[in-house]
Amino acid sequence: MKELLTMWRHTRMIILVALTAAVYAAVLIPFKAIPLIPGITEIRVAQIIPPVASLLFGPAAAWGTAIGNLIGDLFGTFGPGSFFGFIGNFFLGFIPYALWGRLGFLSSGQEPAMRNSRQVVEFVAVVLVSAVACAVIIAWGLEVLGLLPFAVLGNIITLNNFIFPAIVGPILLGLLYGRVKRWGLLWTQIMPAEDISTGRGTVGTGLAIVGSFGAYVLGNWISISGGALPFAAGFGQFGDPAVVGKASLVWALAPFMLALLLALFLCRPRTDLAASAERGMAA
Amino acid sequence: MERADLTEAAQLASVDGNWAIKADGVSFTYSGAGRKALDGLNLAIRAGEFTVIAGASGAGKSTFCYCCNGLIPHFVRGQLDGDVRVFGRSTGSSKINQLAQDVGLVFQDFEAQLFSTNVELEVAFGPENFALPREEIRRRVRESLATVGLTGLERREPATLSGGQKQRLAIASVLAMEPRVIVMDEPTTDLDPVGKEGVFRVARQLRERAEFTMVVAEHETEEAIGADRVVVLDGGRIVADGSPRAVLARADWLEELGVQPLGAAQVLARLGEPVALTVEEAAARLADRGYRIDPASAARQDAAEAARAAGYGEVVLEARDLAYTYPNGVAALSGANLSVRRGEFVAVVGQNGSGKTTLVKHFNGLLAPTAGEVTVLGRPTTGQSVLQLGRSVGYVFQNPDHQIFAETVFDEVAFGPRNHGVPPGEVKERVAEALAAVGLAGRDREDPFAMTKGERQRVAVASVLATRPHVIVLDEPTTGLDYREQRRMMDLVRRLNEAGHTVIIVTHTMWVVAEYAHRTVVVKDGAIWLDGPTRAVMAREEELLAASLKPPQVVRLGNRLGRAFLSVAEAVRLLERPEAAGDAAPDDAAPGRAAGRGGRG
Amino acid sequence: MDIYLYVEADTPLHRLDPRAKMLMLLALLLMAVAVDHPVLPGGLFLLVLVLAHVGRAWRSLRRVRTLLFIIGVFSTVTWSLFARGETPLFGPVQVEALLYGIGTGFKLVSTIAGSVVFLATTKNEEIATGLIRIGVPYPVAFAFSTALRLVPTFVGAGVTIIQAQKSRGLDVESGGFFQRLRKHLPLMVPVFAAAIRSTNQLAMALEAKGFGARPVRTYYLHLEFRPADWITAATGAALVVTALYLRLFSDALRIPGLIR
Repeated sequence: MKELLTMWRHTRMIILVALTAAVYAAVLIPFKAIPLIPGITEIRVAQIIPPVASLLFGPAAAWGTAIGNLIGDLFGTFGPGSFFGFIGNFFLGFIPYALWGRLGFLSSGQEPAMRNSRQVVEFVAVVLVSAVACAVIIAWGLEVLGLLPFAVLGNIITLNNFIFPAIVGPILLGLLYGRVKRWGLLWTQIMPAEDISTGRGTVGTGLAIVGSFGAYVLGNWISISGGALPFAAGFGQFGDPAVVGKASLVWALAPFMLALLLALFLCRPRTDLAASAERGMAA
Repeated sequence: MERADLTEAAQLASVDGNWAIKADGVSFTYSGAGRKALDGLNLAIRAGEFTVIAGASGAGKSTFCYCCNGLIPHFVRGQLDGDVRVFGRSTGSSKINQLAQDVGLVFQDFEAQLFSTNVELEVAFGPENFALPREEIRRRVRESLATVGLTGLERREPATLSGGQKQRLAIASVLAMEPRVIVMDEPTTDLDPVGKEGVFRVARQLRERAEFTMVVAEHETEEAIGADRVVVLDGGRIVADGSPRAVLARADWLEELGVQPLGAAQVLARLGEPVALTVEEAAARLADRGYRIDPASAARQDAAEAARAAGYGEVVLEARDLAYTYPNGVAALSGANLSVRRGEFVAVVGQNGSGKTTLVKHFNGLLAPTAGEVTVLGRPTTGQSVLQLGRSVGYVFQNPDHQIFAETVFDEVAFGPRNHGVPPGEVKERVAEALAAVGLAGRDREDPFAMTKGERQRVAVASVLATRPHVIVLDEPTTGLDYREQRRMMDLVRRLNEAGHTVIIVTHTMWVVAEYAHRTVVVKDGAIWLDGPTRAVMAREEELLAASLKPPQVVRLGNRLGRAFLSVAEAVRLLERPEAAGDAAPDDAAPGRAAGRGGRG
Repeated sequence: MDIYLYVEADTPLHRLDPRAKMLMLLALLLMAVAVDHPVLPGGLFLLVLVLAHVGRAWRSLRRVRTLLFIIGVFSTVTWSLFARGETPLFGPVQVEALLYGIGTGFKLVSTIAGSVVFLATTKNEEIATGLIRIGVPYPVAFAFSTALRLVPTFVGAGVTIIQAQKSRGLDVESGGFFQRLRKHLPLMVPVFAAAIRSTNQLAMALEAKGFGARPVRTYYLHLEFRPADWITAATGAALVVTALYLRLFSDALRIPGLIR
């Protein structure tokens, strides 16, 4: 949490926010999307940027991803969803670096240089959590506004945030990590230790995981069974209609949203993994 | 508040003499680097002086610039020894953002120093940071934009400006802070001739205003003629320090250091004549001393060039009535005709926006003609993909960083052949061959990102060579390189041509064209303006000037004498002096050269 | 490169203070989602079209018309299937669900179109200054506006990178699914590298311009609330209150019999 605020004191970090945001928004324009199911849904190439930037630039990637998504909306999709888009994308850039090294048996205990399969497994794991967290926040938000059903958006966004980064992300990060480290631009090289929160962050990690997956499972269950089943199987099997449907989904997911919010405060990124890195700038 | 700072600084300055910048025993080593970027530098610059700092890449020019405003030691990490004072105030004990009011710094990369979404706000940005009153900022914005000639563009987005305009905007944004010292770190390296001229014009104008101390790091020496003082750096040390006449006269010595010499000075020096820095001066001196072009040598040269032209093979590229209009409606080409034969070495020159890059992008299918036809090896490009055309026409882009991605040089160079489905065994063979051709043999395991700009550029060339194209197109192969790297790159291109490749370079660096290209095509306003043997095109100075192109000194010197010289060596070979025997020793009239030796630091 | 939606013109909408327009946009968003019945969102959509005419925003609106159409249809179809009602229409669709779907379609379309009108009449720097004036900390607003400034630079770099790799034989369209995904590496690495390489340069330039030199800085772009802005802001505020009332305390414009 602390580093999300203290980073604004460092010019290099502020510049990294702007660069992450600019690249995230810019890549949407020249790069064509890859159709996943032609005509229905596609893979946004840009989605590889948040997790990779997160593990390189830490808190700058969280802010950069959020701002970049907002700028992307300024090309013509700005609307009621943009507020939740901002928050969801913030988590997309926040969770990978905040959870790296905190996932127990899934963690490699090494820096995210993508040099062995354990690091790749951990990468896929943190990307999955961030993808789901981002998706449930946006899907819940649009459900609150009554604009799109949770199940539709929640799943599309999860897939989009997960597939491309999980497959190509490890290679991309592997090609970049060592080079960025050599240039002295890893966030842990730019920010002094006293500007970064300390502790184990077990509660924060737990909240982030429970918040995202809990909301995802419950949200899908309510959204699909509470809305979609009845038109196939008839009315009324869930009793009082007021409890099913939208209102219940919004309230049922509220605790998970709160958990994600608290995770923002209680997660503690590992700074010791790349500690051997020399703090320096290449000529 | 600012006034108070100034008077305080002025008092300090009076204690420490009238030095704007004073470096005492300054050494700096970038963290992680093995050698010192500055090595015991002693340099004092007087207030109001206009100093040009020359030197090759890595000589320490940028490092010195960063020392002047406190980026070293406050921002750039490394080991600093010695002391830098700005008007008596030590940079080590002042903050960068406070020094910013005294020292304004303009960087080489114009893209990476602009922050705002319109021109006016960009200029206002510095003064805003110093919390100046809005009325005062308004005045400064108006005056700064007027000084750099951008008045009227206040509301434009910086992204829509040309490179030269962006760099002038960067200068304006520094001027608006009203610093007493302006430091420019290679401000014209990435610009085309018009952009360069615009920046130099502003620099000359600022120089006339007594309140500014100017320090300009440059590797183009022609503009240093007007300076008060030229300092040459090599390996972080001062190796020459004196008047432009004294320093620039030592042309061959400068060239050895990797600084581009003045053609006129070099010709005279090699002939053993007294120094001259400008074309007019040199031409007058040569005429005076009775030099003329040896007709027999000239005839031999013409014959050799005619024989070379006769030896070209069949037509490999042809554009007929080629027109191209961009999707946004901008007509970039209108009716261009060009045909290139096997074995030619063609330079396509012209201003940015003239259409030269648009023209060559048709040869590998990146663009398809709006009207007219382009053929490659006799087949129209329409209907052929970039992938297919890429087997015949290799295209090296201007900035190697726009293509380098792989973990090793080997994988980078192997990328093209693999895409073309070349079997692994042959890929290996081709990579080795391509790396040998660019002088990087044995470095295939290295990380291309860790190489110098010049080496990265050669990796990019190798990656195209490995696909074994008939024709190689190079877009601005020398931009952003220093003189020594430019030569190395062009020597490489010449070897490729001699080995049988047809070569097309797109450039606006005229000395490169003169010295290397056999044929020159000038593109102006989307049409072919001049097309012919390089010597013939170079002789038409006025028409070149109309296309905003200026031949290098040695060419202009030759034109004054009746024949375009394409290089210094050629000039020296062709010039003869029938009555040479009876003349006085040239050294009597060469005070400049003597001073040059005296000024050696 | 013309990637932003702003249209240079001098209309009453262009002249409004960005803060007043932001409040109005917020009011539009809240009004749109306040009720389920399509009458209100539909009316808002018409209002937005009138505003687009006043602000000469047609050119920008045309650029997003396909998107608006797809979103409108998608939402109508989705909700027709997901929501339930009492009056069967055809197959699994009820009248109430269809109404709700149409209403939601209009909610999305009217708010996006309204935002386009806002963006067509408000410059990037006005948005940034407006954000600062409503309390966004300066470094955040700075990062936002610098990102806006850099987007065209990276779009240009992206186009060049695609051309450079195509010239070396990269063909993203061919191959199997995984292969096609992996073929994006030669495109993504240089994009990232370009950004990373410029980090130190930009940060040095920023320091050299006295960034953070004073605790308080001046803002050159002056925003001034004029009577028209006050009227707009007051209308916006009233609409926000109305929207909240409709949503929380009123049964007007509901769709009776809708279950979802």
